[in-house]
Amino acid sequence: MIRSFRFTSLLSAAKPLRSFACSSSPAIEPPQCSSSSSISLRITHPKTPLFLRAPSHAAPLSEVWKWHGWAKDLASSVDDNSSPEDEDSLDSILLLRELKWLIEDSIEASDHHHPVIITGTETPRGDDGEKKSVKLRASLEELYDLWRQRIEKRRPFQYVVGCEHWRDLVLCVEEGVLIPRPETELVVDMVEEVVRGDEWFKRGVWADLGTGSGAIAIGVARVLGGCGRVIATDLSHVAIAVAGNNVRRYGLEGMVEVREGSWFEPLKDVEGKLVGLVSNPPYIPSDDIPGLQAEVGRHEPRLALDGGVDGTDSLLHLCDGASRMLTSGGFFAFETNGEKQSKMIVDYMTSNLKDSFSGVKIVSDFAGIGRFVTGFRL
Amino acid sequence: MRRMFRPMIMSNLIRSCSRATHPIDRTIPSSPSSKIVRLFSTEMEPQLSPDLIKIMDQRLSAIEHRNAILQRLINQPEYSQEEFSRANKELRKLRDSMELITALRAIQKEIDGLKTLVSESSDDKDMLDMAVSELDEAVEEEKRLQTLLLKSLLPKDEADERDCILEVRAGTGGEEASLFAMDIFRMYERYSQKKGWKFDIVDITESDMKGYKEASAAICGASVYGKLKFESGIHRVQRIPITEKSGRIHTSAVSVAILPQADEVDVQLRNEDLRIDTYRSGGCGGQHANTTNSAVRIIHHPTGIMVSIQDERSQHMNKAKALKVLCAKLYEIERLRLQSSRSKLRSEQIGSGDRSGRIRTYNFPQGRVTDHRVGITHHAIEDMMEGENLDTFIDALLLRQEMDAIASFSSTS
Repeated sequence: MIRSFRFTSLLSAAKPLRSFACSSSPAIEPPQCSSSSSISLRITHPKTPLFLRAPSHAAPLSEVWKWHGWAKDLASSVDDNSSPEDEDSLDSILLLRELKWLIEDSIEASDHHHPVIITGTETPRGDDGEKKSVKLRASLEELYDLWRQRIEKRRPFQYVVGCEHWRDLVLCVEEGVLIPRPETELVVDMVEEVVRGDEWFKRGVWADLGTGSGAIAIGVARVLGGCGRVIATDLSHVAIAVAGNNVRRYGLEGMVEVREGSWFEPLKDVEGKLVGLVSNPPYIPSDDIPGLQAEVGRHEPRLALDGGVDGTDSLLHLCDGASRMLTSGGFFAFETNGEKQSKMIVDYMTSNLKDSFSGVKIVSDFAGIGRFVTGFRL
Repeated sequence: MRRMFRPMIMSNLIRSCSRATHPIDRTIPSSPSSKIVRLFSTEMEPQLSPDLIKIMDQRLSAIEHRNAILQRLINQPEYSQEEFSRANKELRKLRDSMELITALRAIQKEIDGLKTLVSESSDDKDMLDMAVSELDEAVEEEKRLQTLLLKSLLPKDEADERDCILEVRAGTGGEEASLFAMDIFRMYERYSQKKGWKFDIVDITESDMKGYKEASAAICGASVYGKLKFESGIHRVQRIPITEKSGRIHTSAVSVAILPQADEVDVQLRNEDLRIDTYRSGGCGGQHANTTNSAVRIIHHPTGIMVSIQDERSQHMNKAKALKVLCAKLYEIERLRLQSSRSKLRSEQIGSGDRSGRIRTYNFPQGRVTDHRVGITHHAIEDMMEGENLDTFIDALLLRQEMDAIASFSSTS
């Protein structure tokens, strides 16, 4: 089930992105464009996000203005087409902000002008727009296509530009890996607090299970500041490729090791030795999956979202594993679905595993939802 | 005008020299700095009158005393990390003065010795000539050091060295005020670029016509606050708005605030005083939601100050920016409190304390900008808006600040 989903989602994702794969950096992409054989899918090469692509396209400024006007109109039109009661609808204010970021990522700054100023608010003066040329990191055609995908297909903005700004990082993301959420930034804050309190945590081995884009692992590695080690695991090929790429981009190859496999499977060698364990596992109850926001339900990998009947399948597995994997005094932090689920996990750990853990507690995210469960191995 | 600026440039040079060259390094008597000082002290002066020197001597003793106390303090291990670092910070501030004082004491001792030598060698003409000429040199050097010390003792705003937060707000004048707020904001952006400062937009609230209702930026560079602090106040514009069809000249205004940047330690920010919220779509959040909205709002309970930031692409960066602005605001409150408890006169003289005062008029039809505090008019308004020549005003204001400081040093002591 999971397996077949992964393949179809990749296939469907590959289509709109085909033009990327051909035009982007030849050093990273396979020499041949995907003929959609299953072999080329197995050897997953991470895609190059817009902002890292060479500005190898050019267009007259007037054409860029035209595109920008069209994109703004399309963004503004979403308000007319949705009823206010509809929770799963686009918001034009947010879309306009995303459009600004799309411009930042795809138009090369020139003459000390910020890309946003190039497309600017001022109206075209004279025939200036015809003469001036703007360098782009994607063809105008592709920019039309990308913006249409964002609005009509509800493709997540982060997949459209190929990156997600998370903490002080810019992480490459693509279909097949979960886009790291703002809430999850706090996991790194919690690790930072623990590490600040006791240097011992800096020197040991940490693990980030189901690392996806590698966000938490990279964030933790930077908090450890060069002494410790982080092992990041994931079941998905795409995630492994993307996480590995992000680790390299931040020059952390020596600190973060990406291993393929399910949860604790690839960690046999460090059993009972971990000083820290963090994870944002799939925690959405299966029944909630069909009703998810379009960007999530239609585009993000179910593997990273579906947590079984009540959403706790993976979390419970992690709790059991944590008692085995962590060394005495080791710290853990798990993200959960919130309130009810956090309580369930705390109950489980303080009853079934009461001899293993201490200081188990719920930590809220900035929206006030009891989002995380943290504690220490006795 | 030109005459007015010359001493200013020199005093700047002196200040930078006093930092760069070690005062003991007086083995090269023809070093450029000593030349400039001589030039300086004959041309424009706080003449070192005996009274001024007496006052200064008292201050010097006080500094030496304080320095000794602090030195003792940091050598005692039982003090907390916080006390230690505070003492260290203060010591660092005293260091420049202490170096000058040490050099001054040494030269004074030398002068005493030379005086004795002169009085004792009245019979030996060669010796006498040599002693007298050395004495002259030493007295010159003493004067030089005293001048430098006076400069270093003038009340300095310790925030001058800091980075700053710029806030521009459209005032009376509706849409036209918003458009001018944008012009002013960009003027500072260009000026900062020319200075090689980092200009980082914090937040912009646009008006209907894409002007700025409010805009803020963090500006970082050497002594940014000291340079820009006089920009705080009401900037008035007179021009025909692009929205005006009949061609009538309108007057509108924007307010500018320049706040020194501060960190969480400066303002002793406590986590429990903060409430941090994020936009909540009403749903469950987490994996359920994919939103690019990572706006952060921070409320500081004790003061009720609220800061929201939304333009960064991650929640973490929005929060960092919001904290930066909050700290600057809290620091400014504390500074204003201290300032009002100190000399009220001073803040009025310098005119950086009052936010409500009209400080400058930009008259487009006449192509001029007038600063009302120093009464200077600059006649190339377009250049000014491009970030050129803002120094005309800034230098004049800095010079006035220095003159006021010298005046109050001798009057209040």
